[in-house]
Amino acid sequence: MNCCGLFLRSAAAARSCRALVAFAESRRLLRTSQPSRAFAKELFLGRIEKKEVFPFPEVSQDELNEINQFVGPVEKFFTEEVDSQKIDREGKIPNETLEKLKSLGLFGMQVPEEYGGLGLSSTMYARLCEIISLDSSIAVTLAAHQAIGLKGIIMTGSEEQKAKYLPKLASGEHMAAFCLTEPASGSDAASIRTRATLSEDKKHYVLNGSKVWITNGGLASVFTVFAKTEVVDSDGSVKDKITAFIVERDFGGVTSGKPEDKLGIRGSNTCEVHFENTRVPVENVLGEVGGGFKVAMNILNSGRFSMGSTVAGMLKKLIEMTAEYACTRKQFNRTLSEFGLIQEKFALMAQKAYVMESMAYLTAGMLDQPGFPDCSIEAAIVKVFSSEGAWQCVSEALQILGGSGYMKDYPYERFLRDSRILLIFEGTNEILRMYIALTGLQHAGRALTARVKELKRGNVTTVMETVGRRLRDSLGRTVDLGLTGKLGAVHPSVADGAHKLEENVYYFGRTVEMLLLRFGKTIVEEQLILKRVANVLINLYGMTAVLSRATRSIRMGLRNHDHEVLLTNIFCTEAYHQNLFTLSQLDKCSPENLDEQIKKVSQQVLEKRAYICAHPLDRMS
Amino acid sequence: MSWAQAVLLARSLSRGWGGICSTALTGAPFSQYHSSQQCQILNPLMEARVRTHILMDTSQVPLQAAHGLHCSTAMHTFDSSLVPHPPKPPRRPIKALALHEELFRKAPDGTREKASFVQAIQDFAQYNVHKRGHVDFIYLALRKMREYGVERDLAVYNLLLDIFPKEVFRPRSIFQTIFYHYPRQQECGIAVLEQMENHGVMPNKETEFLLIQIFGRKSYPMLKYVRMKLWFTRFRNINPFPLPRDLPQDPVDLARLALRHMEPDLSARVTVYQMSLPEDSKDAVDPTEPHIVGIQSPDQQAALACHDPARPIFVEGPFSLWLRDKCVYYHILRADLLPPEERKVEEIPEEWSLYYPMQLDLAYERSGWDDYKFNINEVEEGPVFAICMAGAHDQATLAKWIQGLQETNPALARIPVVFRLAGSAGELLASSSGPEGSSPPPSEGQEEEDDNQQRQQQGQS
Repeated sequence: MNCCGLFLRSAAAARSCRALVAFAESRRLLRTSQPSRAFAKELFLGRIEKKEVFPFPEVSQDELNEINQFVGPVEKFFTEEVDSQKIDREGKIPNETLEKLKSLGLFGMQVPEEYGGLGLSSTMYARLCEIISLDSSIAVTLAAHQAIGLKGIIMTGSEEQKAKYLPKLASGEHMAAFCLTEPASGSDAASIRTRATLSEDKKHYVLNGSKVWITNGGLASVFTVFAKTEVVDSDGSVKDKITAFIVERDFGGVTSGKPEDKLGIRGSNTCEVHFENTRVPVENVLGEVGGGFKVAMNILNSGRFSMGSTVAGMLKKLIEMTAEYACTRKQFNRTLSEFGLIQEKFALMAQKAYVMESMAYLTAGMLDQPGFPDCSIEAAIVKVFSSEGAWQCVSEALQILGGSGYMKDYPYERFLRDSRILLIFEGTNEILRMYIALTGLQHAGRALTARVKELKRGNVTTVMETVGRRLRDSLGRTVDLGLTGKLGAVHPSVADGAHKLEENVYYFGRTVEMLLLRFGKTIVEEQLILKRVANVLINLYGMTAVLSRATRSIRMGLRNHDHEVLLTNIFCTEAYHQNLFTLSQLDKCSPENLDEQIKKVSQQVLEKRAYICAHPLDRMS
Repeated sequence: MSWAQAVLLARSLSRGWGGICSTALTGAPFSQYHSSQQCQILNPLMEARVRTHILMDTSQVPLQAAHGLHCSTAMHTFDSSLVPHPPKPPRRPIKALALHEELFRKAPDGTREKASFVQAIQDFAQYNVHKRGHVDFIYLALRKMREYGVERDLAVYNLLLDIFPKEVFRPRSIFQTIFYHYPRQQECGIAVLEQMENHGVMPNKETEFLLIQIFGRKSYPMLKYVRMKLWFTRFRNINPFPLPRDLPQDPVDLARLALRHMEPDLSARVTVYQMSLPEDSKDAVDPTEPHIVGIQSPDQQAALACHDPARPIFVEGPFSLWLRDKCVYYHILRADLLPPEERKVEEIPEEWSLYYPMQLDLAYERSGWDDYKFNINEVEEGPVFAICMAGAHDQATLAKWIQGLQETNPALARIPVVFRLAGSAGELLASSSGPEGSSPPPSEGQEEEDDNQQRQQQGQS
């Protein structure tokens, strides 16, 4: 923004007419942009791809009936037969429970029907996850099995591989595990040490190395393993590249360590897996030799969206439990539910659950559209928002419950322990924020290349245009991206939220442009800025999702849609103000921007590797 | 410090003084004694500035002020207050010295410690009920404190002050205050406080009580006391690289401390490559087996491993490092800076992070306003791979260090090592009065330039 200040002065004479021109042009641009599949990416350019998110995706009546057939028995099973407390205490899911899960078909939810799975769409998968979340150990076990463990085979496996492995995996006869993490390699693929070398006869790869923290590592019989292989490049040089393999336990040399003792999700099996001279046939290479990186990335990106509905399901249950408590427990002759501070917590939980549910099903709906839509940013947003929402809400719920929330005799503390892992696995939230921000900035950067170059070169027309737009913005323009109005995409009851969204989106686009101008490709190094960009985007996506869903509910006249309107308005207003604050923090000279000081403090602390302030009781004499 | 601030500070300080001393401050010493030395004080602002100036170097000015009027033999030179060793006591009439010297001499069997020092003070009080010659005795005692190892003992200082007769030197009227009542005694009191200051001893309530009893509130020792109270605490932690008060005596421990002091990386490992033979077998430093202590951080190790074997690396030194009053010498293993055309830009591999893109594929760079890369304080130097401190500074010893380094840095075996040892660096040590600077590197015949270089390096390190 500061550079424009400079231009402002120089262009004082020409500004009035230019501003009008610029405004007209920018509006035309917004109206005539090409339809594209990426909603979140377009937000970085200050545009809303209405077609992607309005109206809220729906499933047909047939599909709904079908899914309800599944939901009934599964819900019954989870509420009546699964003893979560016992699973947590013993650190093991009983075999009969696993058998029942298999018979319900829950091990092959996304496996296509021709391979014996349920062949559920993303939306229906999300719906079932909502119920499975009632026990988080089972949810994690199932997710490791099918969201990442066998996903590689579905996504990149050859016909033979699918035919060989999927039926048994779908029936639950075999369990799958995903082996990527190593002692020296978390998200850093370059430091993977496990190595696969081609045997003399070129029929086998010999696999050596160890993997840590493998969920289902002790139970699985089919592993998706990532290992370094030597690949001859096109220019003849030999390079180490990652390759994905399907490894059966029966290949020999596969051993797993003892199950790890964990804070939460204690019923799930997590252990080390060692491969020692395991001979993997060449036909078990997943995808191309040397193409394992892509495989891993695609699997990881595809698995995230379901966390939204999973957490929402857990929160709904939690709200029931705590509301029951709050309405029966009496203090000072009043129930807890009569106290404002308790009521506030319920509003927060309802709001978070509503937003993450909307986000999750919106994303699932996008994924179910024909073609292979790239919704990885949206999925990452869902994961970050829902995991943080879960932690916050569970913590608030424990607050309502007071002391009984802290006791092991009650089920509540387990929720807290179990939800902590959500912030960490499937890519920590910090790393996902980097992903969200950088992927979007890459998109915006490409689209803005021409403009930025001209601005840097000092092209008069472009400069004037920018200056004019800035001026117009600073004079307080009303942003209209066409969400509301007659036949608008958003219902008038939530139009206020839509206006806020439009304004945020517009200024977000401006800020992104400014950031790209300021940092160019070196923005990769500015993690504090990237975090804020991601935070704004998460809020924007949340606002879009709730607006879209509330509009649908109102127009269809769903039950309690007035409640949804309330939640939507609350969330939109809160997110709007958060966004304004974050956007002002992104401004270089604003008083809200404390980056320099934050960096300095951490630098001083890290240099000494300790807290360096003197003790408050210290004296000088 | 800016002008206006100085004025404010001076004002507030003199106000804090309670107005009692203000007459003494503004009136007497400066208009009378100072106007001759400094330019005429034209207005109150100027005056305040002069006063601030005096506040800044707490120790000297009162003494200088005293100087004009009283040509007492208590000459406090400029040096004495800068260098932290006891101020050169005045040349007293020899008789008096000889007189009190006996009190200290008769310490039984030559054990010099606090008890015998206190005994000497008590003896003086017994032997001389009228406290005759107490000023001379105090000066003498001040000089002797270091020998007895009590120079940092507050109780001893209070005991010394206690020798002064009470109530006698207190000014009874405003004129006595103005005209520097009992100058020799006040000066002596200041000398005690100054020695406390030089050794970092903070006066306490008892000191204050004694000073009030002896000299009264409106006296120079009291002023000095207040200033010490004010400034001491603020300057105590001014050093961002603090050293322990008592340095280790063992040269290996000292070297360890010094190396840690220089190396900012906390993961760096100190290795003792060679221990000198025990002291009782021979003299302090064995010429054939001097100690060799080195430090190297993991980053330095990695950098050395990547070093191009075609380029030689250098052992340079000795460079001096001062730790309080001790001077130690170190050597560094370094390489020249790569010429810009040979520097490899660190490439980010394509498939690195599984979760997020490590670089953006964009054509434009950071704009000038956000480019903080250019920094005049960042002067590029060649990489330093390791530092060592050795008991001797010859090539043979340092070659042993390089041998030792090869164990952890196999790459070093392939890289040619050039020894660039300066002839000597002894001159700094000669000027230091420290009891033993670790081991004086050889000797004479160095030039002035060397000297300057050494000083600069010392300043940098």
